[in-house]
Amino acid sequence: MDWGEDLVRRRKKLSNTNDYRDVWVFTEIKDHVEVHECALQILGKAREIADKLGQKLISVVLALEAEQYLPVIEEHGVDKIIYLSHQDLKHYHERIFTDLVYDLIEKYKPSIFLFPSTEAGNALAARLAYRCRTGLVSDVLDLELSDEFGNNLLIGDKPAYLGNIVAQIICPNTRPQMCTVTLGTFQKTKMRRENVEIIKVDYKFDKSKIKIKILEAPTRRDKPSSTLSDAKFVIGGGHGLVSKENFDKLFDLAKLTNGQVGGTRRPILNGWMPEHLQIGISGESLFSDLYLAFGISGAIQHLVGITASKTIIAINKDPNAGIFKVADYCVIGDANEILEDLLNYFRV
Amino acid sequence: MLKIFVLIKQVPSLHNLEIDKRTGTLIREGVENIINPDDLYGLELGLSLKEQYGGEITAITMGPPQAEFALRECLAMGVDKSLLITDDQFAYSDTLQTTLVLKETFDKIKDYDIIITGSQTSDSSTGQIPFQLSEALDIPLITDIFTMEIDNNIFKCHRNFGHESQNISVELPILIRVRRHFNEPRHISLSGIKKAFEKEIEFNDFNTFNCPEYLDGCNKSPTNVVRTEKIILKRKNEIIEGNINEKVQKLLEIMQEHGIERIWTGERI
Repeated sequence: MDWGEDLVRRRKKLSNTNDYRDVWVFTEIKDHVEVHECALQILGKAREIADKLGQKLISVVLALEAEQYLPVIEEHGVDKIIYLSHQDLKHYHERIFTDLVYDLIEKYKPSIFLFPSTEAGNALAARLAYRCRTGLVSDVLDLELSDEFGNNLLIGDKPAYLGNIVAQIICPNTRPQMCTVTLGTFQKTKMRRENVEIIKVDYKFDKSKIKIKILEAPTRRDKPSSTLSDAKFVIGGGHGLVSKENFDKLFDLAKLTNGQVGGTRRPILNGWMPEHLQIGISGESLFSDLYLAFGISGAIQHLVGITASKTIIAINKDPNAGIFKVADYCVIGDANEILEDLLNYFRV
Repeated sequence: MLKIFVLIKQVPSLHNLEIDKRTGTLIREGVENIINPDDLYGLELGLSLKEQYGGEITAITMGPPQAEFALRECLAMGVDKSLLITDDQFAYSDTLQTTLVLKETFDKIKDYDIIITGSQTSDSSTGQIPFQLSEALDIPLITDIFTMEIDNNIFKCHRNFGHESQNISVELPILIRVRRHFNEPRHISLSGIKKAFEKEIEFNDFNTFNCPEYLDGCNKSPTNVVRTEKIILKRKNEIIEGNINEKVQKLLEIMQEHGIERIWTGERI
């Protein structure tokens, strides 16, 4: 590697952080149908940051027939939209998107660039951070501007050590300051700025740069419509349910209440539920309105996955179970009896 | 001959984790260090590719000197060679610094066909390295693979990408990111353990790379951790009292407040 060139590139960045301005949000289009909810939520927070900086909030859109999405984006507080529209942008493509967005960064020099933490958002952000030789903080819990470590630096809070600690991370000397944000972290706010500026950038890409060849027409693969992380009501079970027969009642309750079943590691090891229903580390994180935990003791590996649920009800025999510490409502009692009674109510 | 490299990381084991009640931090003492669970699927893929197509497989890690034990484990699983990149100056490297060191490593190795990574580490969970290394080495990254074959210098596979299922071909070298549960990582045999201690581990440090001072991990990583705080969960912790009927009644009320109602499923449950 040519360290010399790399060094020059960084020194240039280091000395010129003041040349970078404005807050950008990669406004991802989901399944070429709609603006990704997470992107709209990020726009809400980014509006606050841009106001404090006295700079502009700019949405970046790459899509097929991108014009159709602009009205919705304009309703969410942006000052400017920079967009590209082309057939090749129908789906995220690692080479095309990275090259095109990198060109935009080089041209317009944003100070802050935020991405939804999605399959495409994470990939694109990581690639761009490398190209810009800048830092990327993934899955921030909160963002704030502070003068504590430098003029108006962005501080990103990131869960560390398995979610038990929040690490506050800055990116002092390189730009843009980049972060990814998971769904449900921020609130979207509807507001319209006057005279939203719209810039269309012409699509130009040399396809010979693409090394991956697609051999036959791809088939559409629909992801399961209801997954744990976007379920509003989740019913969880742990070892305390004692048997598969009892655990199966969770699925019955879920059917009757339009809920989604998940659980800890133990039910998987016991053969009570499939692997993909695991909640916590190495499983899914919840963003539900309500989480009902039956017979779960509350190991930290599970707890880190449920903390974003708005309300948590825990049912456990052991009054000292760790799960009660993170629960809004604590029911000390036999999880199996209570599950059976609830089920009887809904069965009628 | 296929040259396969598997990137691994040593992480604290997630089993029996305990929290220091006073400081609220993870108790690190006595915690066992293991190979990052996601990386085991990468090792298994590397070993099975070698069995099918022949070649040589090397495990690489960057970390403190004790990460040598993770490499011994890889050797015991059947890996041919291993490389430990370790230096005080690389401590606290963020993902960009790590990527740059790995880039330097592979530029020095020159001859590589397939580099395999897991999806993410269980301790920092950024998942950035596969993408950044793909940029750094300018080789394609293939994720979410189902079936694959290698013919001469061409790698063909079925993969999921976005919401498409694709049949693709790409020229080596490539990076592969293996998803969780893609395969069944093999167990270590006794003869494997014996062999592991007969094999050498290669060490690289700061000087190996002849890299400029600025690559010092702690001071030159673009991101800095400025503070850590314990997460304080603000929850009501309201205890629901009464006999079982009263408890169930209260639960139903809370569920109703959250808009949960009985739905007609048309079947008897």
